[in-house]
Amino acid sequence: MKEGSYANMWDTPPSYSLYETGEAGRMDYFLNQLINGICQGAIYALMAIGYSVVVGVVGMVTFTHGEVIMIGAFAAYYMFFLSGNQIILGLIVSFAASWVLGYFVYKVCYERFFNAPRHVSLLTTIGFSMLIKNLSQIIFGPNQKPMLDVVEANFFRIGAVQISELQIVIIITVIIMATLLSLIFNKTKFGIRLKAVSQDKTASYMVGINVKRVAMLGNCLGCGLGGIAGLLLAVYYQTIQATMGGPLGMKAFASSVLGGLTDVRFSALGGLCIGIIENLGITVTTASFRDMFAFGFLILVLIIRPQGFVSKKGAKV
Amino acid sequence: MAMLKIENLKVNYGYISALRDVSIEVDTGEIVTLIGGNGAGKTTTLMAISNLVNKADGTVLFKDRDVSYMSPDKIVQMGLSHVPEGRKIFPALSVYENLIAGTMGNPSLSKQRIEELLDFSFELFPRLKERTKQHGGSLSGGEQQMLAIARGLMMDPSLIMLDEPSLGLAPILVEEIFEMIVEIRKAGKTILLIEQNAAMALAIADRGYVLETGDVVLHGTGKDLLVDPAVMKAYLGY
Ligand SMILES: Nc1ncnc2c1ncn2[C@@H]1O[C@H](COP(=O)(O)OP(=O)(O)O)[C@@H](O)[C@H]1O
Ligand SMILES: [Mg+2]
Repeated sequence: MKEGSYANMWDTPPSYSLYETGEAGRMDYFLNQLINGICQGAIYALMAIGYSVVVGVVGMVTFTHGEVIMIGAFAAYYMFFLSGNQIILGLIVSFAASWVLGYFVYKVCYERFFNAPRHVSLLTTIGFSMLIKNLSQIIFGPNQKPMLDVVEANFFRIGAVQISELQIVIIITVIIMATLLSLIFNKTKFGIRLKAVSQDKTASYMVGINVKRVAMLGNCLGCGLGGIAGLLLAVYYQTIQATMGGPLGMKAFASSVLGGLTDVRFSALGGLCIGIIENLGITVTTASFRDMFAFGFLILVLIIRPQGFVSKKGAKV
Repeated sequence: MAMLKIENLKVNYGYISALRDVSIEVDTGEIVTLIGGNGAGKTTTLMAISNLVNKADGTVLFKDRDVSYMSPDKIVQMGLSHVPEGRKIFPALSVYENLIAGTMGNPSLSKQRIEELLDFSFELFPRLKERTKQHGGSLSGGEQQMLAIARGLMMDPSLIMLDEPSLGLAPILVEEIFEMIVEIRKAGKTILLIEQNAAMALAIADRGYVLETGDVVLHGTGKDLLVDPAVMKAYLGY
């Protein structure tokens, strides 16, 4: 476990700091950062996919997604401890833990406010996220914890460009999750319910869909995906912390803005973009400017197209 | 036997009183029409039956059960289908998915029955059959209306409420839609039809109610209302 080599846990994943010594040429460094960006972007994409499912199906914004991601990371942390690094078990448990948290988010923040003004869910979810963050600091402790190495640190090289086994595992996991979600949305009756509710709640009631139940399940599903993103982030950065959710929730939000918060595909694309922009951005500056690029991207999208790049309403996968 | 019985329904939107005192009955197998001008409260009546707006007063009995405060999806699942004003199809679902969404209100439908109902929809509206993969939002206004009606029939309801199905359609399509409504009744459905097109609605209806600013001012058989001087003057343009 490499510790203390980087001041802020969200600066640069430890395994890649070796490139900053300048041994490889500038172009190689750039290409490697591109790969790091794609990997990071894949995780952001999964966060954003979950986020847009929540917002699309529930029809209200959420500011608890960062905490949902954090809980997924901690669930994986403890599961890895207990199971001796069983990655599949970790995935299941982080999904389940965030699903359950999603259920409470639904009960507390949404269930009674479907007919309330739009800013109400803003307030309830911000309040609830503070509660979870502070409870987590009490329960898990306020300090960073080193994450276990669940994937062996093998590298594959193509010329001077290298990709780690961990990065491949991460990208494949994200692709599998996105594919499963797409199958649920497009090949099942439950998917039709989810899409119907995200497009028009009144019309959904009129065809006999139990709108509140579907909204609850959609919310839990989106949160479960957030939990898996939390696991991936934790193993990628090899560290977790109770306060890690804040910037992550904002990045999930920023990614989703590209798709008007509810289009799953565009949200995923937004996440990928932010991951790549961040990692390329820090090649010309320093790692501590990472978040500046993410939120610069958000501001840019908001200036150019505040409604996002899709015109249709409702969640789409 | 009254399949649907509404008593002393009263609905307010803030300070606006949309329904003052509306009582309506629909018997099994009937076509009943509710006519009235813009803003008379027709849509609100249906929304109150479906419990999608809050009632200030009144009761709704469906199949002899008080559904006044039942969850909207539960009311639908009892066999009451609501085809809303302005179609409200799901724009980003395909035509096929829209029709499958229509079956959600009846969990007891077998796969085979769903196939039969799909066939019935395509028989009524052959145009939909050619467009099953197209998004609902990409259909023309008339096709969307057909889809909305077909979707409402997919749950195999006992009673179907149609809110201005002819609104905004070309005259030739309007006639087609009214012919379909007669067909739907022949298939054994009870129909509550809301229309501004009073002449055509009364012509196919067994009974009719005339609604004015939230009150039922007249009711009678379709034939009687067609020749009623007050109706003729206000709604038939004579
Ligand atoms: N959501 C709403 N909020 C406030 N007033 C409404 C709303 N919907 C309808 N109204 C008012 O209620 C009255 C009845 O409307 P509605 O039921 O839509 O009539 P109709 O369907 O006969 O045209 C009208 O005065 C209308 O302006
Ligand atoms: Mg109306």
